[in-house]
Amino acid sequence: MNAIEVKNLKKSFGDLQAVDSVNFAAAQGEILSLLGPNGAGKSTAISMLAGLLVPDGGSATLMGHSVTADPQAAKASLGVVPQDIALYPDLSARENLVFWGKMYGLRGAALNQRVDKVLEIIGLSERQKDRIGKFSGGMKRRVNIGAALLHKPDVVIMDEPTVGIDPQSRRHILDNVKALNKQGMTVLYTTHYMEEAAELSDHIAIMDQGKVIAFGTHAELIKLVGEQTRIDLTLNTESTVIFDAWRNTQGVSRIDAENGTVTLLVDDSNLVLPRLFEAAAQANVRITSVDIQEPNLESVFLHLTGRALRD
Amino acid sequence: MRILDLATKDLLQIFRDKKSFLFLAAMPIIFTLFMGFAYNSGEDGAEDDARISVAWVDEADNQFSELLFERLDENTALSLVDMEEASAMDALARGDMLGVLIIPSAFGEQAEGTSALGQITLVTDTLSTEGQSLYQLLRVPVSQLASAVEIGTLTADVIGDSAEFSPAFTLALEEWDEHQSRSLVRTEKAVAQEEESWFGDNPYNQASPGIVVQFAIIGLITSAQILVEERKNRTLQRLMSTAMRTWEIVAGHILAMFTLAFLQIALLVLFGQWVLDVNYLHAPLATLLISAALGIWVASMGLLIGVVAKSDDQVILFSMVAMFFFSALGGTWFPLDVSAGGFAAFGRLMPSYAAMNGLQNILIRGLGLASIWQPVAILMIYALGFFMLALWRFRKIGV
Ligand SMILES: Nc1ncnc2c1ncn2[C@@H]1O[C@H](COP(=O)(O)OP(=O)(O)OP(=O)(O)O)[C@@H](O)[C@H]1O
Ligand SMILES: [Mg+2]
Repeated sequence: MNAIEVKNLKKSFGDLQAVDSVNFAAAQGEILSLLGPNGAGKSTAISMLAGLLVPDGGSATLMGHSVTADPQAAKASLGVVPQDIALYPDLSARENLVFWGKMYGLRGAALNQRVDKVLEIIGLSERQKDRIGKFSGGMKRRVNIGAALLHKPDVVIMDEPTVGIDPQSRRHILDNVKALNKQGMTVLYTTHYMEEAAELSDHIAIMDQGKVIAFGTHAELIKLVGEQTRIDLTLNTESTVIFDAWRNTQGVSRIDAENGTVTLLVDDSNLVLPRLFEAAAQANVRITSVDIQEPNLESVFLHLTGRALRD
Repeated sequence: MRILDLATKDLLQIFRDKKSFLFLAAMPIIFTLFMGFAYNSGEDGAEDDARISVAWVDEADNQFSELLFERLDENTALSLVDMEEASAMDALARGDMLGVLIIPSAFGEQAEGTSALGQITLVTDTLSTEGQSLYQLLRVPVSQLASAVEIGTLTADVIGDSAEFSPAFTLALEEWDEHQSRSLVRTEKAVAQEEESWFGDNPYNQASPGIVVQFAIIGLITSAQILVEERKNRTLQRLMSTAMRTWEIVAGHILAMFTLAFLQIALLVLFGQWVLDVNYLHAPLATLLISAALGIWVASMGLLIGVVAKSDDQVILFSMVAMFFFSALGGTWFPLDVSAGGFAAFGRLMPSYAAMNGLQNILIRGLGLASIWQPVAILMIYALGFFMLALWRFRKIGV
């Protein structure tokens, strides 16, 4: 049995198809990432898994329980870390955790032990008596995660848990995710940082405009772009002549220009780059900067959509 | 159990906010005192002291003037104020005093020899009812004193020993007291109390329950804000992603709102009872039931405000609008009986009127449990209506 299974899930808001026949699955003990730019439909998909939105069609199960037919059982096996910090700012970290623990049905000594344990996991035991309102963004994010772990759920869904925080807190959170996963939790992790998806995931679903446009392991996804390398160039002038010349250069499979940056996908940069410079010299265009990137998820996204993952 | 936990969390948040104390306790208590004071002075000046005020200008200052003072002062329909003549006349002109009684310096001086007490002067508006009653009130004690002096003088004359004046005089006064004066006092007192105010014998019978109803609604500012914040900071969505069912979440919040409203009502009722002498506890069970029904109605309205309002500012706005609307129509500021027909008829349909009416049945009309079933039923019907409306809106909250 898969811990998470989503089939043909659909949701629209008026004319907007926010989630469009989406499929993905995560085996127990896996980390699955949903990678996609703003507005891709990640949060909408997660809201349906968490029972907050009713799907227009399709099905979703958590630990075998349908989120629509048996929401109570599905929710009991699930911890959700919302994209927004959903905590009470006028209560202390501990008071927040105790409250959420109670909402998940914990009581008495078991509750207190679990709160102690979670405070330790998120590294805030020392600050537990302070009001959340006084915490830094990173600390709030950590409590936000902690509140979803109290009842030791089989599945944890984290919606962009590292948005807008310092590198140190981000490191802490990523390490937490890996540690929790080692203890057997299945994690569904959404992000628009491809580095996070690459580091954490067993499987990655790339989402764009409501659809899953690619699904697989990191290695499988990279193969989609072949072994192609991405080259970002900036030029001293706008020139369509050079674009045409480069497009026809041997070894170049794709060329895009956006915001003064020209992005090319090439077979082997060592062979292609000299040809590009030569063509530029002939067209009387100067290349002012060069950035070479070996294949990664970013280039996969570019390959599939023609757009950059981050705007 | 989780419902209780949720309600406890709401109350913790409310009590941690310092302005809650202001809305829930300090302001209503201050307003109760203020309104009671306002109702009281709004009435005719003589009404706060039903006695007829008389300036007592004593130029004699001797045994006889003192005796007369004592006897007049015993009369509960009169209030004697010791004054100088000039200021007494001023007070009369201003209407602060209804009469001035001038005891001449020669009063009683020749009493022991000449059988006359000396003439006292009453300055008053003899055409007014107060002036007339004043004259009537003075006549008897003055003539009793005069006749006792006469008897004393006669006795001394007949025996030929002026030392016999005193015993005979005293005996005569005692005789008067035994036979007559008490009944006269009683009659006059009844006249002075003829007019009763619409708030009974205590202006706080209007002010205290009025503020109870009014501030129970204002108190929603604190409790409905909790729900609005919960929607805004998405903790409500988080609650819904736990195994809490929707009805449990609604129940927890409404329980917190009810508890808060009920505690506030209880505080103000006990303040009224113990500090302002408003007799809620003469029918304790009736007061408890009305308070609970009022709390339930207010809580259901709070749930609706909490579900509809988009921001804290809107919570304040809606709570204030509800407060003004229901206070004005429900007779919490002034009784509906004194307002125009259509307005009063509409007002009588309001839940706030039901609460007011129920409480005043207890306070002013001295009624008990039997008198409050109807108001309680009206409050519960409104509570149900607001609750259904809130539930219907609650389902539409987007995620
Ligand atoms: N309640 C809603 N009503 C209308 N439109 C919505 C609603 N929620 C989301 N959308 C729209 O649906 C689309 C998908 O939104 P969603 O929040 O799922 O994206 P996302 O992938 O989570 O993006 P982000 O990275 O910015 O969080 C967006 O265009 C968004 O504007
Ligand atoms: Mg999102």
